[in-house]
Amino acid sequence: MKTLITFIISLLFSFFLQKAQANTYLKANFKTGNPEISSIHKMTFGPEGILFIGDSDAAQIIAVDLSEHPKLDNSKVKLDNIDKLIADMMGTTIDQVQITDMVVNPNNNNIYLSINHSSGIPILLRVEENVLKQVPLDNVSFSKASLTNPIDKEAKDRRGRSLRKWAIADIKYTNGKLLLSGLSNQEFASTFSAIDFPFNEKQESSSLEIYHAAHGKYETHAPIKTFIPTTVNGTSQIVASYTCTPLVVFPIDKIKQGKHHKGKTVAELGSGNSPVDMIEIASEGNRYLLIANTNRPLMKMDFKDLESFQGELTKPVVKKGAAEGVDYVNLPYVNVQQLDKMGDNGFIIIQRESNGNLTLKTGNSWWVK
Amino acid sequence: MKYTLIFLLILSSDLLSQKKYDFIFTKDKITIPNYDDSLESKVYLYNGEIEEDFITSATPILGKTFFQEDLLHFSPIIPLGWDRIYTLVYNHSITYFKIPLPKSYNKLYVEEIYPTSSKLPSNILKWYIKFSNPINRNNVYNYLHFINAKGDTLSRAILPLENLLINKDKTLVTLWIEPGRQKRKLIPNQLLGSVFTSGENYRIIISKNIKDSNGVSMQKDYVKNFSIIDADRSKPNITQWHLEHPEKESLSPLIIKCYEPLDYGSVLENINISYKNQIIRGTWELSNNERIIQFLPKKKWKLGNYRINFNQTIEDLAGNNLSRLFDNEIDNSEDVNVTNQEHIIEFSIYE
Repeated sequence: MKTLITFIISLLFSFFLQKAQANTYLKANFKTGNPEISSIHKMTFGPEGILFIGDSDAAQIIAVDLSEHPKLDNSKVKLDNIDKLIADMMGTTIDQVQITDMVVNPNNNNIYLSINHSSGIPILLRVEENVLKQVPLDNVSFSKASLTNPIDKEAKDRRGRSLRKWAIADIKYTNGKLLLSGLSNQEFASTFSAIDFPFNEKQESSSLEIYHAAHGKYETHAPIKTFIPTTVNGTSQIVASYTCTPLVVFPIDKIKQGKHHKGKTVAELGSGNSPVDMIEIASEGNRYLLIANTNRPLMKMDFKDLESFQGELTKPVVKKGAAEGVDYVNLPYVNVQQLDKMGDNGFIIIQRESNGNLTLKTGNSWWVK
Repeated sequence: MKYTLIFLLILSSDLLSQKKYDFIFTKDKITIPNYDDSLESKVYLYNGEIEEDFITSATPILGKTFFQEDLLHFSPIIPLGWDRIYTLVYNHSITYFKIPLPKSYNKLYVEEIYPTSSKLPSNILKWYIKFSNPINRNNVYNYLHFINAKGDTLSRAILPLENLLINKDKTLVTLWIEPGRQKRKLIPNQLLGSVFTSGENYRIIISKNIKDSNGVSMQKDYVKNFSIIDADRSKPNITQWHLEHPEKESLSPLIIKCYEPLDYGSVLENINISYKNQIIRGTWELSNNERIIQFLPKKKWKLGNYRINFNQTIEDLAGNNLSRLFDNEIDNSEDVNVTNQEHIIEFSIYE
């Protein structure tokens, strides 16, 4: 009996110690209160249930501790007419709301949706047993970092209106850094930043410009639409997709502040299309890249093909709408508007089906085996 | 905006309840002064006119029920809309109501479209639409169209961004003309050509169906006519700009004549004047179809030397900035150093 009590006490001590250690590291500078979020455009999960929120309107990144939400089995999730459902929950019409992002916490399979309402009030929803629940953001454990460019003078027009706008296109977390791609209304350029996490007052933020030269001699400063940090041939790389759909790979460690860096274009995925989301799935020893698109089906690319692709694309694709470069297959999911990884080898989508139904559902993992 | 109290009881069904309740409806809150404290004090609000038989299957509007100053309130997380019917359920009584749009409501309109010139280069890259009120940022691209002289809508003219470029107060929208078509040699350019053709006439139309942040539409379409001239393939050159110096000890403006229209969004916050290495305070404005930049100082001009600093990201209408062309030829080297050239005009105010 004495041994059992000692064992239980040790377990409890170990649990609290682990929790304390976790809190002293990534969440050490978190505080509880209202993070004053102005908008939610992009989200991504980091370790320990930390949700990173990209707030374009306030030019900030907020890290929110959502680790307290219970572990869920969302493998059978299905929410039909989700746009109507959300509009009803907001007391408005469908055209007044927009689902700006969907992410899954890999630790507990909670699904989160960020909603933009015309009033500008940001809303975060969570799926539990096929029911949408609001996640209040006015009293949470958080830390945040400003993205305001130090040279930004916040100039205003004669009516006192700010002109500058920097919109977050995508954010991802990797190895203690938060990576961001964005677009400003001042210059059509690809900007890519890395911010250390935990955030600190002496913030190390690099401004990087990346271009690719897929089309002969004219450089393409197009903004990165979506990207993932990953490993290609044993090295840390970014796989990025641009608005005009080339797929470009560039090594993380070669990106230097104050330099343009030319990415290697490995595929053209067809013109008249724009990527929406990108994830990496591992299954039975294989890794796959899934890409959701505005005007093409969900694409699956085998990392083995990506890694074995030699050279790069430098000439324009002549055949209208054709794809070139690394092979991929189209999966039977069209009009996929949101995509994220679910569990070890599954994925979840928000899809506009052919009958007009906007549905949140799991994808069939058979396609990625 | 704080809305004044609006009290409007449209229909009340008391089939299930004998008691009549008074309700006070505003966009932010529903108040029940004579609530029944013997009952579970929960208020349910639904979007639209929900018949009694369908109440149990309807999704309630998110919000919270609370007591304040001895009154019962329900506050939705999003303010209620004008002229929309809602269904309120309290103590088994069903009440339908709507909050009418005030007659004095200032409806949305387009204040200005930039560039303001009616003659534009065929490789124009950006437009800015300035609205009178904050707008609903969702689905904005559905309400913006370019029309050619035949009346046909130009397809793939605008780059639709998932995250709309709109300023903080939601009144200024930036539109990118499809850069892949405006930049030579890119696939969209080769397949579809540039968006506009020199010598042709076009219109940009902002549909009256676009809504403000309260969900209220404009009263009429906004139309701007313009004609297209040859592409602009040269950088703005500040050495060719002309300065009109202000007079000493005056608040008169410094005027910079640029002789070509500049991009509205990239100028005003990328320029400053320094005097003895201190930036002087004042207001920058664009005029004469964005061909003239003028600076109005807060304090009177002093005698001495001044320095105007232009950030290289100042662009003309075709996206050419002070340091590089939008259509930039490159060599094949792996890395190219970022140019960060200084662009400076100096002037002096004498006795």
